[in-house]
Amino acid sequence: MTTALPDGIADRAPQPSPAVSAAQNRRTAPLAAHLVLAGTLTSLLGISWDIQWHTDVGPDTFFTLSHLMLYSGSAVAGVTSLAMVLLATAAQRAGHPVGDIAGGTPVRVFGGTFRAPLGHLIAGTGAALFLLFGLLDLWWHSLYGFDAVLDSPPHIGLFVSISITMAGSIIVFAAARDTGWGRVGLILSIPVLITFSPITANAFSALPLPVEPDVIGTVFFATLLLVMGTLIVGRSRTALAIAAALGAVQAFLWWFSPWAARVYADSVGLPLRDNLGDDAPEMPAEIPMFALLGAGVIAALLVLGRRRGWSARIVPQLMGAAGGTVTALSMPVQLALLEGSGPSAADLLTMAVVGLAAGALAGYLAARFAVLLREPSTAPATKD
Amino acid sequence: MNSARTTHRFTARTTRRSAAGAAPRGPRGRLHRLLLAAAAALALALAAGAPAAAYAPVGIVHTEKVEAGPYTVTVGFSEWPLRALQSLDFTFAPEGGIAHKSGTLTIDGPGLDDEDRTSSLARHPRKLDVWGLDVQALPEAGKWDFTFALDGHAGPARGTLRDVAVLDQPGPPLAVSWTLCAIPPVGMLAYLAAGWRRNNPAAKLSTLV
Repeated sequence: MTTALPDGIADRAPQPSPAVSAAQNRRTAPLAAHLVLAGTLTSLLGISWDIQWHTDVGPDTFFTLSHLMLYSGSAVAGVTSLAMVLLATAAQRAGHPVGDIAGGTPVRVFGGTFRAPLGHLIAGTGAALFLLFGLLDLWWHSLYGFDAVLDSPPHIGLFVSISITMAGSIIVFAAARDTGWGRVGLILSIPVLITFSPITANAFSALPLPVEPDVIGTVFFATLLLVMGTLIVGRSRTALAIAAALGAVQAFLWWFSPWAARVYADSVGLPLRDNLGDDAPEMPAEIPMFALLGAGVIAALLVLGRRRGWSARIVPQLMGAAGGTVTALSMPVQLALLEGSGPSAADLLTMAVVGLAAGALAGYLAARFAVLLREPSTAPATKD
Repeated sequence: MNSARTTHRFTARTTRRSAAGAAPRGPRGRLHRLLLAAAAALALALAAGAPAAAYAPVGIVHTEKVEAGPYTVTVGFSEWPLRALQSLDFTFAPEGGIAHKSGTLTIDGPGLDDEDRTSSLARHPRKLDVWGLDVQALPEAGKWDFTFALDGHAGPARGTLRDVAVLDQPGPPLAVSWTLCAIPPVGMLAYLAAGWRRNNPAAKLSTLV
């Protein structure tokens, strides 16, 4: 017995679903990566604006524009990452798995129910945690009142959540390091996390440390991320490009944060605080102004280590220790420049020790993180 | 205040737009009804959020008098008794008003950073006819002093409000809150450690340099 199919059906290939088509589209990965970066940048602008608002103006509500900017940044990054996880899952189920370029090594989630590109999994987890800590923060405000303490436990939880999303953004771009957009994205996403790190490091402000924890955090994370980014791309000049991008972020925030605070205050009819003086903007002033010097040392040591054939087990720590020391020494100089005073010898000595120790540890970790992010089969904690 | 008005205007506009068209029938009608329901939900959410969008007035529930030479300053507290880490508003109202007067406030108490102790007296941002501090938190329980160094028509003078009791922080012990908030970073570190152990990155360092 023969059966005849209507004309044209037999030779028609099955059409992929829209989700699979989107996952396979070569524009999807860069679009998603840039949306996550746009989200983290929005969060960064929001937090810098909000801190400056508290300093320059004061009155606060849940619905200030700077707060909305902060929330929307996590929302954009989170929704984008969720979409990428769903697309990657649909593609996997249809037998057309996406490659690492779609946001990192795909890992199984919930026993294989989802197939998530690692970077988007991390970025999305950070955004989801942001929501949870937002709820915890609401409860905290009901007990303590509104936003009197920047480094309260729920705030630190929120900052850690944003940092996790920023780390996810770095992983997403690191996976695309063989493309131009991947390298540029990596060079832009690293300064975002460097800029944000001192706020999170404030969690340790109650500890009796010889140096403020936000300064230690800045030195440690700036060095770690500079060395890591350089080693992920594998080109010494990447360190300089990251430091230049950090300088651009600092310059923009330096202008934007006080400008936005003042314009917004005008628009809602609030005066600026009395006796404001001419202090530098709060958050931009904590970003290392001389990061290019530290980056230069890091790049030079990588070139030297390669030429002389130094052991790869030593070079990252050398890069970190030297770069960290330069960055650490620049911090009291920066403070002195901004406050019109001179750094004391004791400050410089303390910072040299901090930079050496934090930098060496940062270099050690940075090299290993770079290996993990360069290896296509690395990092999944769940078995495939 | 203006912010609250803006929210109300937006809410009203959204509601009017929702009520403007009758829902057509068919699939497009269902979509239209869905959009209307979403707009109504948004309007409700914004209306519920409107009080949070307004800058709260400064509510003083307790006052103390301080004699600083010829000046009498009424210190107002937005909460009483005071508790550590609580968000507080303070008002400082000298007799005869703040015009042609200036000065500094020095706060002394446990756990306060040196750089936060002394500040110029400035108008309270939400109560501009008096000096004050807005959304301030005192870090630890104990006895706190507030010293005013004033200058005005009767010359310079000092006065201190001594031994203001600050009770323990409200809510659960801080260690519990910190433990809860440490779960995500600890989880991420555990995830990282698992990936690290699985891949042994130290063995592949030579690919980097």
